[in-house]
Amino acid sequence: MTIEGRYVRNKKTLTDEDQHKLANSCVAIVGCGGLGGYIAEELARIGVGRLVLIDGDRLEVSNLNRQIMATELNIGQWKVEAARDRLRSVNSEVKVEIIKEWFKEEKGPEMFREVDLVFDALDSLATRVELERVCHRLKLPLVFASIAGWFGQIGVSLPGDFSVSRLFGNGERGVESTWGNPAFTPAVLASLSVAEGVKLLAGRMPALRRAWLQVDLLTMEFERFEINNT
Amino acid sequence: MRVTVKLFATFRDGRFKVEEKNLSEDSRVLDVLQLLNILPEEVAICLVNGRDVKEQHLLNDGDTIALFPPVGGG
Repeated sequence: MTIEGRYVRNKKTLTDEDQHKLANSCVAIVGCGGLGGYIAEELARIGVGRLVLIDGDRLEVSNLNRQIMATELNIGQWKVEAARDRLRSVNSEVKVEIIKEWFKEEKGPEMFREVDLVFDALDSLATRVELERVCHRLKLPLVFASIAGWFGQIGVSLPGDFSVSRLFGNGERGVESTWGNPAFTPAVLASLSVAEGVKLLAGRMPALRRAWLQVDLLTMEFERFEINNT
Repeated sequence: MRVTVKLFATFRDGRFKVEEKNLSEDSRVLDVLQLLNILPEEVAICLVNGRDVKEQHLLNDGDTIALFPPVGGG
C-alpha cells in the first residue's frame, strides 16, 4: 500500500534522491535473529525497496528477550516468515524475499544475485569470514556487526578490505556463549549497522571502513579502532 | 620497562579497564596474557600501538597493548 507522506520524517536526513535510491535497492540480511530482525525492521521503515532475509532457524522461547520478530504467538515459526509477516504490516511497499536456509559460501552467488548490499547478522565466527569472502568475490559491500552481553562491534568491509577475517578469524564462538544477549545490545548495534548501510546505498562514504567501532554499553564508551593492512 | 595495558569488553570483568604494568626486558605479549590470567585462545585481537600482532610479539618500553575477546553473537 502506497501511503502519501510515509517518508516525510526521513527529510532532510535523506534527500528525495537518496529516498529514490533506497527504493530501488535490494539488501540481503544474513541471519534473522537479534541483530537481523532489527536491521530488517529499520530498513523496511526507512524505505529500502527489496529485502532478502536468510535464516535456517525457527523462533524459540529464548528469543523473546531480544528478537523483535519473536512474539508469544509465533514461537516455532520460521524466523524469516515471522519477519516477513511483521514487515508486511510495517511497510507493504517493501518486497520481502525469504530464504529458509543457513548461509553457505557456495550458495552466496545464488542468494545475492540481485543484491546491492549485505548485512552480516550471523552468530558464527567462521561463517562471518565465509560471508566476507563471498561478498568480496561478488564485489558487494558488507556491513558487519556482532554482540555479546553489554558489548558489540560494528564496521564496514568493502571488497579487498578483509576486516571481518581480521576481527573474527580466530576461534569458533565468542563470549556471547557465556554472557548472553540482552535486549538493548542488538538494538543498538543493528541501528549503527543500518546507519552505515543507508550511507552506502545512498552513495555516500561510510564512516567505519577499514575500522571497527567497539561498543561498551556498560561504561557507555564507543571507541573506534583502525584495521591496518599489515 | 613500562607498558600500558587496555582491556575491552568481558576482559574487564574482574580485572581493569586500563593499567600500567612493569615488565622485565624482552617481555612478549604472551607474558602480559599470563600476568592477567588470559589464555591466548581467548584473545580475538591484540593491538600493540594500534597494530595487529600475535602473542609472540616482543614488547618495547612505552608500548600500549589493547586486548579484545571474540564478540560473535547475532
